[in-house]
Amino acid sequence: MKITWFLRAACAVAIAATGISAAAQEKTGNKPGFTLAPGTARIVLMRPTIWVGEQSTAGMPEPNADWTTQARENIARALADAQTGLGNVVISYDEDASGEGALVAEYSHLFGAVAESVIEYQFFSGNRLPTKKRKDSFDWGVGNGIAGLKSLEGGDYALFINVHDEYGSTGRKILQIVSMFAPGAGVSSGVHKGHAGLVDLKTGELVWLNADWEMGGDVRTAEGAAKRVRQLLEGFPGRPAEAPAEGE
Amino acid sequence: MRHLSRFALCGAGSILALLGPSPASGAEPGLELPTYTRAYEPRTVDERGVWMEADEAERGLRDSPLRIREAGLEAYLREVLCREVGTERCAGVRIYAMEIPGFNASMMANGTMQVWSGLLLRSRSEAELAAVLGHEFAHFELRHSLTGFQQRRRATDAIAWIGVWGALTNRDTSSTQSIIERGIYRYGREQETDADLLGLQYAALSGYPASTPSEVWKNLMAEEDASAAGRNQKPKQKYTAGYFDSHPTHLKRSIYLAEAAAKMPPGGDARAKEYRAAMAPYLPRFLAAQIKRNDFGGTEHILQSLAADSGWGPDLLFARAELYRTRGNPRDLQVAAQYYREARAAGYMGAELDRNLGLALLRNGQADEGRQSLNAYLTAMPEASDAKMIRALVAN
Repeated sequence: MKITWFLRAACAVAIAATGISAAAQEKTGNKPGFTLAPGTARIVLMRPTIWVGEQSTAGMPEPNADWTTQARENIARALADAQTGLGNVVISYDEDASGEGALVAEYSHLFGAVAESVIEYQFFSGNRLPTKKRKDSFDWGVGNGIAGLKSLEGGDYALFINVHDEYGSTGRKILQIVSMFAPGAGVSSGVHKGHAGLVDLKTGELVWLNADWEMGGDVRTAEGAAKRVRQLLEGFPGRPAEAPAEGE
Repeated sequence: MRHLSRFALCGAGSILALLGPSPASGAEPGLELPTYTRAYEPRTVDERGVWMEADEAERGLRDSPLRIREAGLEAYLREVLCREVGTERCAGVRIYAMEIPGFNASMMANGTMQVWSGLLLRSRSEAELAAVLGHEFAHFELRHSLTGFQQRRRATDAIAWIGVWGALTNRDTSSTQSIIERGIYRYGREQETDADLLGLQYAALSGYPASTPSEVWKNLMAEEDASAAGRNQKPKQKYTAGYFDSHPTHLKRSIYLAEAAAKMPPGGDARAKEYRAAMAPYLPRFLAAQIKRNDFGGTEHILQSLAADSGWGPDLLFARAELYRTRGNPRDLQVAAQYYREARAAGYMGAELDRNLGLALLRNGQADEGRQSLNAYLTAMPEASDAKMIRALVAN
């Protein structure tokens, strides 16, 4: 664990030093032909994966428990508001007396791995697999075993949310400014990534995934979290048509 | 160039001074333990952050499919930890037993301890297990996750600034940066030493023999040497740690632990018998996992050392047969068949013994005997998942 930390920091420095910066990356995938009729679906919101902290001068992620707690609350509230607009019933996952906590955790990890694969091997060019190049192809899933879970019985879909925010520390920002005068040492400040996905609980298929590597909205505030949730839910199936969002 | 590197070294020296004092390790280990705070709550932003990550990681361990949930194992590990560090201290810890065949245990900032099955297989007494658990607990008590994190941040910050300074002034700063980087690992090794010495104090106060922590590392060196020999490599124990090693060398640890232990009361019973009894139900699965590591020399060493304590029982004989069959030289197959039969004679009950004996015999050209064994397996387990495959082998 220690070494991973260090390597990540070293990597951040190396990337900064070579002047590569991640281009604006946002992408949505839908299972072709899939629509979610508004007002009918029961969506189970799985425990969101949320990490909020600072980015040290060298680029090391510094976890901040207080910000993460704020973000957890803000995002939950913003999601609840957004869902009313979606016209669906949204319930937070509860293990109850099913004893399925460990199994559901495995499915959450599996979803995480699938989502990362979609992002890595289909969404963005570079590492895109030849089999995933065709347009209108979106064929991913976590297996239909998920249909057998008692604690998910009442739901039609499971919604997974993942948010990772590193706000540039003062040191990082100063380094960024100073480095502007240094040839070849471009330093970026802050990391704001997130993805959200919807899994059909009858078939285990991934019916929608939205990923964004440069998200807006300060999740530490209520307004920022609302903006973040709007961005996370972009392209959500069955979402009522909206006027194009302003300045996002 | 020479001027430049001297300058770089000088810069590194002053920066290293800024990086703060190294953890206190100079004092002679006495027997007084530091004051311990019960139900400690993290205080600073950094500490709350490190705990938050640990809390998330602990959820992962709690729900992990690798966790050994069978009744009693984790409770037993807790008993050993409590005997080692005292009931007050062990109350702050949750222990997770993980089925991973490597030799390891680790500690997170919030008092989460994970213990790998490979450690449980290799330990020969409660005292040996307790030595490792006490070391891990010392990391927790000394809040090493936090201080390590802060030290890495200071060091990488310095590396980043030096890098930008180098880019601004068009100088090569890589040697300075590398010196600071090495400091990160050196700090980690010093934390390990501190945890070793505090762990030894727990051991000395616990009633377990104070000499055991040193022996743990000797045993591990012996296993690594056996493992190297099994791969036709030279044993490569090092006297001193390399720049990027996370821990001091086993040799160094065993020496300073033995030196410090010599100044302490010798302690009492290592509770080897109790340990063997507690591990007996898990021994077959721990052995099966170890055999899959493709480490003939190391595994044979472990089997020998277990047998030296408890004699060649049915589980050890079966594991030894499996080890030889897995390596699979013609001579190994012959030896394996012999050990399978000895295991059966010693009272090994599982039907898989007949199957594996049959497979070893078939591959060794003893077709009739092999079929006989496979048939015995099929009679005992007609519904086994591999029954069709075995039937096909018998028919050929």
